[in-house]
Amino acid sequence: MNGEVFTFFVGGKAGAGVKKAGSVAARLFSQMGRRVFEMDDYQSLIRGGHSYSVISTATRDVTSHHMQGHVVVALDKRSYDIHAGHVADGGILVYNSDQVDDGDGIGVPFTTEAKKYPKPDLRLGVGAVVALAVAIGMEKERLGNLIENEYARDVESNLNYANAVYDILYPEMGGRFAVEEGDHARPLLTGNEAIALGASAAGLDVYFAYPMTPSSSILHYLAAHDRDLGVTVVHPESEIAVINMAIGASFAGARAMVGSSGGGFALMEEAFSLAGMVEAPLLCVLSSRPGPSTGVPTYTEQGDLRFALGQGHGEFPGIAGSPGSVEEAFYLAAEMMGLVWRFQTPGILLTEKHLSESTMTVEIDLSRVEQAEPEMHGQGEYKRYLDTPSGVSPLLFPPSDKLIKWNSYEHDELGITTEKAELIAKMHEKRRRKGEALAEHMRGVRTVNVYGKGGPAIFAYGSTTMSVLEALRVGGIEATVVQPRYLEPLPVWELERYRGSKAIVVEQSCLGTFSSLLREKAGIEPTATVKRYDGRPFEPAELADAIKRES
Amino acid sequence: MGDLTTYAENTWCPGCGNFGILNAFKRAVGRLEEQGIERQRIMISAGIGCHAKIFDYLELSGLYSIHGRSMATVQGMKVANPELKVVAFAGDGDAFGEGIAHMIFGAKRNADITVVVHDNGVYGLTTGQYTPTSEKGFRGRSTPRGSIEEPLNPLTLMLEAGATFVARGYSGKVDHLAEVMVDAVVHEGFSFVQVLQPCVTFHDTYKEYNAKVEIMESIPASFEDAVAIARYRDRLPIGVLYRTEKPVYHRELHGDWNPVSGRPAHGDRVERIRRLVAP
Repeated sequence: MNGEVFTFFVGGKAGAGVKKAGSVAARLFSQMGRRVFEMDDYQSLIRGGHSYSVISTATRDVTSHHMQGHVVVALDKRSYDIHAGHVADGGILVYNSDQVDDGDGIGVPFTTEAKKYPKPDLRLGVGAVVALAVAIGMEKERLGNLIENEYARDVESNLNYANAVYDILYPEMGGRFAVEEGDHARPLLTGNEAIALGASAAGLDVYFAYPMTPSSSILHYLAAHDRDLGVTVVHPESEIAVINMAIGASFAGARAMVGSSGGGFALMEEAFSLAGMVEAPLLCVLSSRPGPSTGVPTYTEQGDLRFALGQGHGEFPGIAGSPGSVEEAFYLAAEMMGLVWRFQTPGILLTEKHLSESTMTVEIDLSRVEQAEPEMHGQGEYKRYLDTPSGVSPLLFPPSDKLIKWNSYEHDELGITTEKAELIAKMHEKRRRKGEALAEHMRGVRTVNVYGKGGPAIFAYGSTTMSVLEALRVGGIEATVVQPRYLEPLPVWELERYRGSKAIVVEQSCLGTFSSLLREKAGIEPTATVKRYDGRPFEPAELADAIKRES
Repeated sequence: MGDLTTYAENTWCPGCGNFGILNAFKRAVGRLEEQGIERQRIMISAGIGCHAKIFDYLELSGLYSIHGRSMATVQGMKVANPELKVVAFAGDGDAFGEGIAHMIFGAKRNADITVVVHDNGVYGLTTGQYTPTSEKGFRGRSTPRGSIEEPLNPLTLMLEAGATFVARGYSGKVDHLAEVMVDAVVHEGFSFVQVLQPCVTFHDTYKEYNAKVEIMESIPASFEDAVAIARYRDRLPIGVLYRTEKPVYHRELHGDWNPVSGRPAHGDRVERIRRLVAP
């Protein structure tokens, strides 16, 4: 397996410990010093249905799951039917012989063995972990330690069950795959955890959110670690309360963040515009699912690009960025917290389920992150909306003996409501200049990632970047991948050099909105747009073929 | 800062009940300062409508919010910096139409905020439509044959939702209203003040209120008494209807933590993250 990708699949009903087995496998590989990418595919239900996790690992970078598994464990019949086609050449399919008669592969009576213990359904995932452990030649004692660490509840039953499955499987497939150790252990994070931590590193004080998949795990993670981090977490009655509270918190001097998916974000839009008018620094996370409307809650799409770029009624400067990896999600969240405070305007960190909820090994250099700092008022008279050349008016927080008035109405410099023509125009111009200052500032920021050289230019953003990079590795394709980290302002100054070159756009959208954005704003004429819009992320081998067809 | 007046031109109609509310609040701030609550710590917010112009007229810091959201705005301020005393002004449309969820949940979680509802039973600034508290049969520009809906009772609603301070005042009784406002702001918990307020242009209720309003001599003995009095229609008792002590939201949430002044230093925060992500 030297240098190659090894992939583990586990599928079964929700409630059978599938996701847990996936995360145990991911931790096992990361502890071995390997890079890991884990994708969890699950449905919007609590029990039953079909869910699976795919863990791809290598000693080199791996930025996508692969849909060809070396060890594929099907805990029920439906998983067997679905995943029998996902076994790589030379791979092994381990199936539940209590549900599948005489299948292809190695049958294990997972259910019969589990029924010897209480709560048999929950036990099945342990069986999947054992199958993986056997396949990579793990000794029984080490497996025992793994089970003790990972399945501590009713550990005796788990150990007995694991040993029984081990004894069945070892003679059939023990040590079939030599998965070598990597260089050193790395942390494993989901995209949402990375966003939460990146924002925290830049000084997040309060996170406000109402649950909505696939953004909810930011809320869960910060709530679970609020005291470790020193972050306050508020889950109020609605997204409307969320963002209005967050703007109030920002007024009081707190670095606030909100998060939602499309529908909840739409509810926040009125107050998003309020943030633009009162000039509230506010970082907003928009994690997309396939839309429109309720759409497909637990799957992925990039259909909210125009929605993110067009947020808010009226004209005011906006910032939108989208991370191309879990690691970048950390840095971008921190960076964007800095930007929204520097320019006192709302910003959107746009991502998708495929990044939010996928898990990757990361290497994070915390010394690279700065705390978000606004320009503060010094001495003398204070005017909240002081008309400065940059359009940025210094901030001051209460309590203060100065008057601090933030106003949703058009206002004068002090923040008192106005309807005077010259003041309306003046304040519009102040906000416009702030947008210009922002755009100027962005020229000194890393706004675009470029990977590789030669070949066609491949444009991608967000989680699709990860799929493209893995596809190029798998397909041995020479290409230059261009990934804008920022979408608003779109770094045209970086992108225009690709005008006239062969350009392939890859995106998870039906209408090809990224492609049309590049055409409209950057003058790039894509020669082809590779799209996927069935809720599933790109698969690297398939994507490699599609890119080759278009190259 | 002087007498809390700004240079903004006052554009309320002559005789508007809002003047009484403005004057009462200015007096209340003076009395709060005597009690050690300095004006620098009193943050205001307002929704959208005639009531909300009070934001421009008061020389106090705060955030002029949007329709129905001032109650959410001030909850965010309070969570971020519990040292602040926060007051949301709202119209009856703000509080019981567009933003009713924030009223109910603010009361339910006992957020330590004060909400002053300028209840005139009409949308004034949009030139006269029925509101959630307009009487059935109210003829407005959207209900030319009369409103076909029963009104909400703000007091019983807030009592049931869990408000720990519920009071009613009348814009025509400025001194009394000022006292009620002081008590509301001093109270630690969700304070709701319904202010009966005539709209001289679209819903002139001076005659009715002057006839029905009576100052209560004491706080009703029980929650049940408060609910019963809140239901009176033939007379309109004003004063504090109900007051109780319960843990407040921000203390339940983070104890004595102050997110703004207690923020960990950057190096400390980074160390905390390092510990959390160590493989």
